[in-house]
Amino acid sequence: MTRVLVIDDEPALLRAVSAALKARDYDVATVGTGQAAIDAIALTPPDVVVLDLGLPDLDGIEVCRRVREWSDVPIVVLSAEGSEERKVLALDQGADDYVTKPFSTAELLARIRVALRHRKHVASPEDDAVLRVGDIEVDLARHVVEVGGRKVELTPKEFAFLALLARWPGRVLTHRTILQEVWGPEYGSESQYLRVYASQLRKKLDDDPVHPRLVTEPGVGYRLVDPAAEAPD
Amino acid sequence: MKRLPPTGGAPLLGIALGTATVVVASAALLPVRTHVTRATPALVLVLGVVVAGVVGGSVGAALVALVAAAAYNLVFIPPFWTFKVNVADDWVALAVFLVVALAMGLLVAGQAERRRAAEAREAELRALYDHLRAMAEEREQLAEEATRAQVLERVDEQRAALLRSVSHDLRTPLASIRAVASDLRDGTAYDEETRTELLETVCDEAERLDRIVANLLSLSRIEAGALTPDRQAVALDELVTDRVRRLGGLFRQARVQVDIPPDLPLVDGDYTQLDQVVTNLLENAARHAPPASLVRVSAEERNGMVELRVSDEGIGVPDWERRRIFEAFRKGEGSRSSGVGLAICKAIVEAHGGTIDVDRTPGGGATFVVCLPMREVRTP
Repeated sequence: MTRVLVIDDEPALLRAVSAALKARDYDVATVGTGQAAIDAIALTPPDVVVLDLGLPDLDGIEVCRRVREWSDVPIVVLSAEGSEERKVLALDQGADDYVTKPFSTAELLARIRVALRHRKHVASPEDDAVLRVGDIEVDLARHVVEVGGRKVELTPKEFAFLALLARWPGRVLTHRTILQEVWGPEYGSESQYLRVYASQLRKKLDDDPVHPRLVTEPGVGYRLVDPAAEAPD
Repeated sequence: MKRLPPTGGAPLLGIALGTATVVVASAALLPVRTHVTRATPALVLVLGVVVAGVVGGSVGAALVALVAAAAYNLVFIPPFWTFKVNVADDWVALAVFLVVALAMGLLVAGQAERRRAAEAREAELRALYDHLRAMAEEREQLAEEATRAQVLERVDEQRAALLRSVSHDLRTPLASIRAVASDLRDGTAYDEETRTELLETVCDEAERLDRIVANLLSLSRIEAGALTPDRQAVALDELVTDRVRRLGGLFRQARVQVDIPPDLPLVDGDYTQLDQVVTNLLENAARHAPPASLVRVSAEERNGMVELRVSDEGIGVPDWERRRIFEAFRKGEGSRSSGVGLAICKAIVEAHGGTIDVDRTPGGGATFVVCLPMREVRTP
């Protein structure tokens, strides 16, 4: 049974989220403070953590940072709308993903599933030669991308951008992460590059604006999803 | 600043006036010069020297003294109209006249000069004072402008804080409602008990939204200065009992005990507004009450007022925060609330002519004490 630790200081939200998770056969534990969260993660390590950033005692970002010092447990943070900086900070401090409040349960469950999948992926580090996200196939060895069997011509940077996102399907990657991985460690704040490349990629992938494969997370970063598998909101 | 020139009056004017006085005086005494003693013309002629000294300063006085001596000799010392002096007495008279006229003129001139110098100093001081006052006024004006700018900045800050806390406050219950509603819509299979609990959560959170909206409306009324209580006789025991029942969802963890005697005097107040005070205090207590603790609501008559106490067994309010928790947007440490609830309580209670304060609960926790005016008992 997958064990989920939910940390939020709102009893009502804890009730809602834990009911939804229990109904899907997760083993759920809930706590209301950052300190209790750190203790709980240390004592009975969960498989995934859902962490609210606005806690009464410790800042959620601080909790992320401290937990990351000794644990690889996937962390999905819950954050209020309009605080992109805090989301980026949380991701930089080791959070795996985030959900913006108010959220639908389906959205939270999807993020939890993605976080759990990646943890397994990390556990078996052998690099796949071909990455698949929905109908996109990225052949790393041959440097070839196909969308629904149609071959797509990409520049080396576009390929690297897409390959990076395809390695972490469904997961948000921050501007900084993408810039440093694709352009190099001296980059980090040139998010306007990414807008240009993302727009070119979307054109080449023939993305449907309503159900895009390459999803923009405004102010935070990008994620590559399988529109067919994304649960409706 | 312009510095005044050293004194000395107007020498030319002094000489002219002094000489004119000497001439006029000589002409006036001319017809009677044989009938008066030598002293009379001497005394009159000194007048001219005095005039010259006052107006023209020492130089003018000295010159006019010589002129006066010459006139004295020409007109009043025989033989007339010559500078000749035959009698030794007349020589003495002329010499004494000159000395006295000179001394007199210089003395008067010195006095006048000192007076002019004093006036000049006074004028200088006045100019300096005016300058300083102008500077002070300017500084005052600048300070006033700075204060105004600060006030505006503070208002802006408060508005930003209000927007932040309002959006946070509204979103928090919305997050729970949306999570549950989307889950139920997606047809998740829940057992009956969980399903009921989730629906209760939605109802509780919807009520919480309603309370937040009520507080926001009150806040806008307070800001518009339109918080006039519509006074009526309010039975506090009924109000509190009803409110506690309605807020049942808030007290899943803590237990509420209402301890209000049924013979408590009626309160002279606005039912809706007082209900909001009680609601906010209960919500505040519920928020800070640890699990399985007691929230106690009591009331009694004290000093001609009705005293309502709402106490919890939470962390309490530190002394340094006691006054500040009634300011808008001031949350207690680690508090989840926006901090408008207590500010609204204070505004409402004070609009009723009452007081609100926070005290320590014996054994730990916060006790809010509200004093409200009693309804006058009318005997039929």
